[in-house]
Amino acid sequence: MTEVLCENFSNKIIKKIGNDTMSVINFEFRNEVLKHNASLSYCYQCSTCSGGCPVALLTEGKYNPRKIIEEAILGLRDKLVESQDPNPWLCSTCQKCVELCPQKVELTEIFTLIKNLCFEEDKYPEAFYSQGKAVFDTGVAIPYSNSIIARRKKLGLPEIKIAPAEEIKILMKETNFEKNILRGNE
Amino acid sequence: MSERNLEKNSKSALVIGGGIAGIQAALDLADMGIHVDMVEKNPNIGGRMAQLDKTFPTNDCSICILAPKLSECYRHPNITLYSYSEVQKVEGERGNFSVDILKRARYVKEDECINCGVCAEKCPMRVIDEFDRQLRKRRAIYMYYLQGVPAIMTIDKDKCLWFTKNACRICEKVCEREAIDFEQQDQHIKLNNVGSIIVATGYNLIEDIDNEVLRNYGYQKYRNVVTALEFERLLSASGPQDGHVKRLSDGEKPKKIAYLQCIGSRNDRSRQYCSSICCMYTTKEAMIAYEHNNELESYVFYIDMRAGGKGFQSFIKRGENDYNIKYIKSKIAQITIDNKENPIIVYEDLDNGEIKELTVDLAVLATCIIPPEGIEKMSEVLGIELNEYRFVKTPPFDSVKTSKGGIFTCGCVHEPMDIPRSVSEASGAAARAAEVIRGG
Amino acid sequence: MNKVAYDLFLGCVIPARLPYLEVSSRKVFEKLGIELRDVDGFSCCPDPTGIELIDHETWLALGARNLSLCNNNGGVISFCSGCVETLKGVNYFINKDIDAKQKVNKYLKKIGKTYEGKTEVKHFAQVLYENLEKVKEKIEKPLEGFKVAIHYGCHYLRPSEFIKWDDPFEPVTLDEIVKTLGAESIEYELKMECCGNPLDKSDKDLSLQMIDNKLKAIHESGANCIVVVCPACYQQFEFNQRELNKRNNSEYNIPIFYLSELMALSFGFKPEELGFNFHRIKPKGLFEGIGFNV
Repeated sequence: MTEVLCENFSNKIIKKIGNDTMSVINFEFRNEVLKHNASLSYCYQCSTCSGGCPVALLTEGKYNPRKIIEEAILGLRDKLVESQDPNPWLCSTCQKCVELCPQKVELTEIFTLIKNLCFEEDKYPEAFYSQGKAVFDTGVAIPYSNSIIARRKKLGLPEIKIAPAEEIKILMKETNFEKNILRGNE
Repeated sequence: MSERNLEKNSKSALVIGGGIAGIQAALDLADMGIHVDMVEKNPNIGGRMAQLDKTFPTNDCSICILAPKLSECYRHPNITLYSYSEVQKVEGERGNFSVDILKRARYVKEDECINCGVCAEKCPMRVIDEFDRQLRKRRAIYMYYLQGVPAIMTIDKDKCLWFTKNACRICEKVCEREAIDFEQQDQHIKLNNVGSIIVATGYNLIEDIDNEVLRNYGYQKYRNVVTALEFERLLSASGPQDGHVKRLSDGEKPKKIAYLQCIGSRNDRSRQYCSSICCMYTTKEAMIAYEHNNELESYVFYIDMRAGGKGFQSFIKRGENDYNIKYIKSKIAQITIDNKENPIIVYEDLDNGEIKELTVDLAVLATCIIPPEGIEKMSEVLGIELNEYRFVKTPPFDSVKTSKGGIFTCGCVHEPMDIPRSVSEASGAAARAAEVIRGG
Repeated sequence: MNKVAYDLFLGCVIPARLPYLEVSSRKVFEKLGIELRDVDGFSCCPDPTGIELIDHETWLALGARNLSLCNNNGGVISFCSGCVETLKGVNYFINKDIDAKQKVNKYLKKIGKTYEGKTEVKHFAQVLYENLEKVKEKIEKPLEGFKVAIHYGCHYLRPSEFIKWDDPFEPVTLDEIVKTLGAESIEYELKMECCGNPLDKSDKDLSLQMIDNKLKAIHESGANCIVVVCPACYQQFEFNQRELNKRNNSEYNIPIFYLSELMALSFGFKPEELGFNFHRIKPKGLFEGIGFNV
C-alpha cells in the first residue's frame, strides 16, 4: 500500500500511504533526530514496544510507539510534528518500552525530542502551557496560595523560600523557553 | 579390551563431548583407523539430539537416526568411551598432548549391569529429571534416558539414600547380577600421545542460567508457558506425557498454541546473536503438534523469519499451507494470563498497526542457545580462547579451528547451528584432527 | 563516623497542594534520627512529565540549578518520584554528554552558579529501605488488618538506566517495607502498570481509563488500601475514585496512603497528627483495627 515516488533524486521524496495522506521525507529532520539520539538507527521494527505499551492497548493502536519511531527513521517530520499522527502527547511516560526494547532504542528520549519540536511549532496541549507559564512566572509549577501557606503553618510545617523568579527567568531566556512559551500566549 | 584395528601410528585423538557432533567426529576418525578416546560428562552419550522428538526439515524421528550412531560409537573397536567423565588437565601441544580424565564412579559394575531396570523400579528416591527438563521425576538409580548408551545404570550419589542417610541399599538386594558396588571409587585416567583434540561440548539454553529475560513471559510462574525444549519433551513419545501434549495446569489438550521467537536472542539486554535454529524448530514443533491434533491452531510470533538452508523456506511454506500455522511478524513483550490460566498475548498487527489480544491454551518460548555450562573452565584447561559471547573462538574462514594448534571444534560449542551443519563440521574437524595425527 | 544528613528537595505538588503528606514524611525521618535539611531557593524540579517534554534543555538547566544548591554529605532526597527522576536524570545527561554539561554551565554562569554533576540523589523510600533495621526498632503498632495494594509507580523504577534502584519489572523494596510494618502486601493484576496521571494533561478520558483498570484490579484482589510513593500517583488514585463512580456507576472507596503515612501510623503517631482529615477517602475501619478511634 506504500508507494514512494522520487522527484529528480534530490532531497524530496513523496511517500503515499493509503489513499490520501502524502508525506514528505525530510532528511534534515531525520539527521537531526539521529544526531540527537543515534539509538534510533538500531530499531528493527520488531514491535516489542507497541505490544507492551499500555496506551497502545487502550487506544487499540491509535497511539503506537513503534510507528513514531518508524516515522522518525523515515524522516516524516510533517506526520510527527504537523499532523501528530500518532499523537506523541499520548505517551504516559511509563518507560516500559525503553526497558523492553531488545535493541536499547531510547524511545522516550526520541519522543521528548519530537515533543520539543512540537512545542517550538506551538503545537502542544494547553496543560503544558499552564505549567510552563507558571514555572516561568514564579519558578514553581504550583504557586503557594495564601490558604496553603496558612494550612502549612497549621500543620507545623516550615515556611518555604522558593527560587528568586528573576534567576529562573534568566535561565529560561537563555534556553529560548521564554520565546516559545510566550508565543503560546498570543 | 578388544584388539584394535589401528594404523602403525600410535597417536590417538581425544573427542570431548558425546553429542551428535562429537559422535560424528569420533566415528569419522575411528573409520580412518585412528584410535579415539571420547569423554562425555553425562552418564550416557547422545546429547541434545536425544532429547528431540523429530528433526527438521525432514521431520525424521531424532532417536531413530541417532541410536545406530550411538551403538556404533560404543562398539567401534577404535573408540574408547569414557562416560560420566570429565577432562581435568591437558598438557603438551599439537601432536603430543597428555590428558587427565576423571571417570566418576557410577557405583554400578559396567560389565555386570544389563539395564534390566529392576533397581530403578524399587528405588524409593524421586529425583527431578534433568533429561526431561524437570517435567517428571526419575529415581536415584537411573538411566539418563531410555535408549542411553552405554546401557548401564548410574547411582546419583547426591540423592541416593545410602550416600545421604546411610540407609536403604534396596538396589543391591534386588539386583540379580550383583552389579551394585557402593565401594566403587572415582578413577583417574591418564592418556598420553594424544595427537589432537576435538571440542564438541554443545550448548545450554538461556533458561538454564538466566531467568531474567524470561520473567516477562511468566516462565515458571504460569504453568501453561513452557520453553521449546520442554515442549519437545512433551511432544516426544518417550517424554513425560508419552507424546500426548497436555497443558500442565489442567491436563487439557491445547487447541491454540502460540510460539514466541527470539526469547533472549537478538537482544541487547541478553544475547545479541541470533540463536539460528529457532525459526525452523518452532515450525517443526508446530507441525508435529498438528499431526497429533488436526484441529490445532498455531501462531508463530517472530521478528524476522530466518529460514536460511536447503529446503527451509519451503518447509515454512508447508507449515503455513498444510499445518494451520499462522506466522505473525511481531515480537511479544510479555505474557499475562486469564482466570483459566490461559496465556494472553498482546501484539501489534503490523498489517494495520492495530493492537490485538490473543488468548491461547499454551505458549512456547523459543529460548536462546548459550555456551555450555563449564565452558570457562574448559577453555582454561585446554588453553583455548573464547569469543565475546563466551563460545569457543574460531576464525571466520576456518570454522573448526580454535586458537590453539591441534585443538579443533565443531557444533554449537562455537556458535548456534542446526544438526546437519554440526555433523558436517564434525567431519571437517575430524579430517583436520587426522591431518595432525598423521604428521601433517 | 559522620552522621549522614540529606538535603530535602520538596518539589511542588507535596508542599503546595498536599502538605499533609509532608507532615508524615518529616515525622518518620525525625523518628528514625535521619537529619533532613531544608534548602532555600529551589525551583520546580522541573516536572519530567511536563517541562521536560516541551523543552529538554530548560529542564536540564533548571534541574542543574537545583542540584547546584545541594551540599550535604548524604546528597539530596525527595518525597516525590518525579523530582527524583528529574534530579537523577539531569545527573545522567550531563555526565553522559560533555556538550550538554558545558551548555548548562554556560547558562548557570549567568546567574553565578555552576554544577559538576556530582550530587547523589535518592528517593525517600530508598533511604527508608536502607534503614529497615532502624524502622523495625521503632514500630509500636504493627499494621494488622492492612491489606495493601502496593503501587510502585513508573518513575520510582524506570528508566532503570539512571534510576538505578530496584528491579524495573519485579521490584521488591516497597513490598519489604510494607511487610516490615506488619501489613500484608496483596498481589494484584496490573500491579506494575502506570496509573495514567501524566495523561491527564493531554487526554483526560484515557487517563481515567487507566486508573479505572488499576482500581478494578485492586478492588478484585481483596486489598483494603493502596500505598504510593509519588504525589502524582497519589492524586490520580485519591481524586478520581469519586469521578469514576459518577461516570460508571462503580463503587470505589479504597483509601490511599502515602508510604510515610503507613510508617508513621506504625510508629504510633495518631491519625489526627498526620492530617488524615485532608484525605478524601477516610481509612476509618483500618484505624480502628490498630486501636485508633477516629
